[in-house]
Amino acid sequence: MSAPSLASYIAKRPMLKRWMMPIANWYTDAAGYRKLGLRADDLIPEESETVQKALKRLPPKEAYDRVFRIRRAFQCSISHSLLPAAEQVKPEEDVEYLSPIIRAIEKEAAERADLDNLVVKR
Amino acid sequence: MLSRSTISRNAPRALQKQCSAVNGRGMASAATGLQYDVSESAGVKIANREIAGPTGTLALVAKAGPRYQPFPGFSDALEQFAFKTTLKRSALRITREVELLGGEIASSHSRENVVLKAKFLERDLPYFAELLAEVASQSKFAAHELNEVVIKLLKYKQQALSANPECQAVDAAHAVAFHRGLGEAITPSTSVPFEKYLSAEALAEFAQQAYAKPNIALVGSGPKNADLSKWVGEFFKDLPSAGSSSQYKLQPNTASKYHGGEQRIASKTGNAVVIAFPGSSAFGGSSYKPEASVLATLLGGQSTIKWTPGFSLLSKATQGFSQLRASAKNHAYSDAGLFTITLSGKADQVATGSKTAVDILKKIAAGEVASEDIKKATAAAKFQALESAQSLSTGLEATGSALVSGGKPYQIGEVAQSIDSVTEAQVKDAAKSLLSSKASVAAVGDLFQLPYGEDLGLTV
Repeated sequence: MSAPSLASYIAKRPMLKRWMMPIANWYTDAAGYRKLGLRADDLIPEESETVQKALKRLPPKEAYDRVFRIRRAFQCSISHSLLPAAEQVKPEEDVEYLSPIIRAIEKEAAERADLDNLVVKR
Repeated sequence: MLSRSTISRNAPRALQKQCSAVNGRGMASAATGLQYDVSESAGVKIANREIAGPTGTLALVAKAGPRYQPFPGFSDALEQFAFKTTLKRSALRITREVELLGGEIASSHSRENVVLKAKFLERDLPYFAELLAEVASQSKFAAHELNEVVIKLLKYKQQALSANPECQAVDAAHAVAFHRGLGEAITPSTSVPFEKYLSAEALAEFAQQAYAKPNIALVGSGPKNADLSKWVGEFFKDLPSAGSSSQYKLQPNTASKYHGGEQRIASKTGNAVVIAFPGSSAFGGSSYKPEASVLATLLGGQSTIKWTPGFSLLSKATQGFSQLRASAKNHAYSDAGLFTITLSGKADQVATGSKTAVDILKKIAAGEVASEDIKKATAAAKFQALESAQSLSTGLEATGSALVSGGKPYQIGEVAQSIDSVTEAQVKDAAKSLLSSKASVAAVGDLFQLPYGEDLGLTV
């Protein structure tokens, strides 16, 4: 799903993480998707079976809100404008709602692959 | 080839020998090895019979069938959710592990119970005891499993039911006979809006009640008593002893009341008529009448021998109908029973067949039946009762059900004795009382041709 990343290496080391967090926060804000009213999980490419399955498993309210955010961002993009500051996504609202489901599906698939390649020794 | 004279000379002698052997052996020896030992471990009722052999069976019987479900479809969903993902391992892992060990897991439900069953090699008892405990107490009830698997399977089940007029008619007969409780459909029909009640959270709460300690019994066949109570004590101790009180709790156990009436359902899938009367409950229940099962075998319908209609009155009477299936059965439940005559097949033949069936019942009530036939019927009824107690598919549930609802296991010896002691007069009286009581008639199919209960001469 994702490109190679140092994120987990950094997150495991508290000191390093403390140094990196301001940079990370600046970078995320500068990426600008929050100004269009999107969350990070809205940017995950949909064109894979895993993500398609995860989208189907979203609770109805979450799925509706996701479509709403994407359409609003689309309108902003067409009109070359940003949302008013009050409507932009705040950092604390930018939470994972799709990634946990994707991780669960990937875990299921990995388990299936493991069990399929199981060697039984008796 | 044997000459005819040899057979005719030897047959009576062989028969005589067999009869004397049966009389000599008596009931006592026939019943040993069938009787369940009842015990309790960690607050869970256990019935077990030790059978020396390489395999064993363990069943969990929960009093959570449609009779006790809070909303339609809950028992079906609970049955389908058995052996799905638990908090400890996924459904796939459970399946693969069972495959590796060489066992068999299955779940089913009847009108009163949900049954989880595991068959396994003797040494795998601890694994399967743990598995059943895990399913009962730690099933996850994931929303996506409900939507992706369980509801879809349930819809297939509904379609299968709607394509089977006989099942539909039996369900309808139960509904008019008992209204609520035992009258609930065993699987909701295609037009029941069960989805609006069903949710993963609701099922989780229902399961907590359904699999609470006082609501279940474990029935084993094969493993040693000591082993079983040890492993059950270890794995089932964490089961809740009472579920949380919510709106998804089990229906209270109210005594079944017989109402009677008539229901007609138009259908293109086939034709079936069910004529039902109040019957006999299971052994140990309040309305247990052994003569009902004798009457059922006397009416019969399905021959046990190939190429002959057999002795039963229904099959003799319907011999001329080439496209008619007739059978009589006593559906026994813990506190009530339903005696049904089921006819299915071509519409015109079902119509005439059902008239014939009622006429036969009237003849039995009037005493116009050979005493020899009643003797044969008694023997057949006894065989059926013992056979169903002995076989795993029916015996485990019957035992578990008796244990959960009455605290007393199925006493095979007593059942056989009570059927043996049925007299001719009792059978005739039973038929008379059926005809005098209100009938429940269900017709499914081409209603233009199928008769009303009144046309058959029944009081509906």
